[in-house]
Amino acid sequence: MRIKMMIIAAATMFMAAPLLHAEEAYLNYKTYCMQCHGMHGKGNGVNVPAMNILPRDHSDNAYMMKRTNTEIFKVIKYGGPALNKSVKMPPWGDTFTDHEITELVGHIRSLCCEKELIRGVNFR
Amino acid sequence: MTMIRRCVFASMAALMLPMVATAAVDGEKIIQQRCAYCHDMKGPAPQTIRQLWKRDAPDLFYAGNKYRREWLVEWMQKPVRVRPAGVNYLRAINSTPVTLKKTKKGRKYDILWGKYLKPLQHEILTKAEAEAVADVLMSLKPHYDLIASEHFDPSKKVTLDQGEIYIDKVYGCESCHQIEPGYGGYTGSELYTAGKRLQPEFMLSYIRRPKNWDPKIWMPNMHVKEEDLQKIVNYLILLSKEDFHAN
Repeated sequence: MRIKMMIIAAATMFMAAPLLHAEEAYLNYKTYCMQCHGMHGKGNGVNVPAMNILPRDHSDNAYMMKRTNTEIFKVIKYGGPALNKSVKMPPWGDTFTDHEITELVGHIRSLCCEKELIRGVNFR
Repeated sequence: MTMIRRCVFASMAALMLPMVATAAVDGEKIIQQRCAYCHDMKGPAPQTIRQLWKRDAPDLFYAGNKYRREWLVEWMQKPVRVRPAGVNYLRAINSTPVTLKKTKKGRKYDILWGKYLKPLQHEILTKAEAEAVADVLMSLKPHYDLIASEHFDPSKKVTLDQGEIYIDKVYGCESCHQIEPGYGGYTGSELYTAGKRLQPEFMLSYIRRPKNWDPKIWMPNMHVKEEDLQKIVNYLILLSKEDFHAN
């Protein structure tokens, strides 16, 4: 009986840990990214009508599949110019830790490439 | 005898003092009764995202480091919205309603909604009250160290056009901040009044690293170069002298 309980506890811990991380990443996305990338990550945030360059649509599977995780990490940490993109994407390196950025990359992948994630594609 | 006389004087003075204080407007009392239930008067600034979302109004515990007194007095008598999407933009935005037609290129954007489309609801103070409150607010200077390390250089002049290039093209501030009414993003505070509102040293320090003032704020550190920083602050002061309601 006790062993069974322990197994259940361990299983829930393993399941809950990624969920908690996912929640933190979602909160970060909601707080910092949503103003431009939109409430549903479609690149249509509240600030967009004022911009001359449109933010990336994170649900655009065809485009996002061409980008590696390293590139997404880089563009969040060092801003658009790091990948020859617009300055309108600011560097968030001072706001997030590297760990938080890695989680954010995971969150963005869940917006664009859910099918590929389930299939187990290696995004590098 | 003298002892008794002293006691009488002391007790009379003790009775009179509160009367004198209440005769004049008490800024501290107004703040406690009418400001403190929305504004954070004690600090520290929100340390987590959840705390950040609970913020109802700008933190005032470092008001003396931040604002210009004359603007505070004027604003408290005639409050207007400074941030188009409010202090907490997550409460102000909504997905586009299905009924709204698509805009250019077939795209729909998130929109502001609710009370953020109407004029700001805020306590209105009389001139005497505003002066008294401003006196108290200007005495709140916990971040003296951050301000002391900044030196504003008014000689780094720029024209309005040059300044706009910094704001729009070089650092992209315009995505979130408006440089004239209706021209720019919504989630930041308006920049065309920044020069009137804020002390130059505060602007320098805040743009240099917003995190020092507000650890979880959604303004990024753009790593602005020292020279550009001086130019931007000079531009903001120049911009605030423009009359945007002339037409």
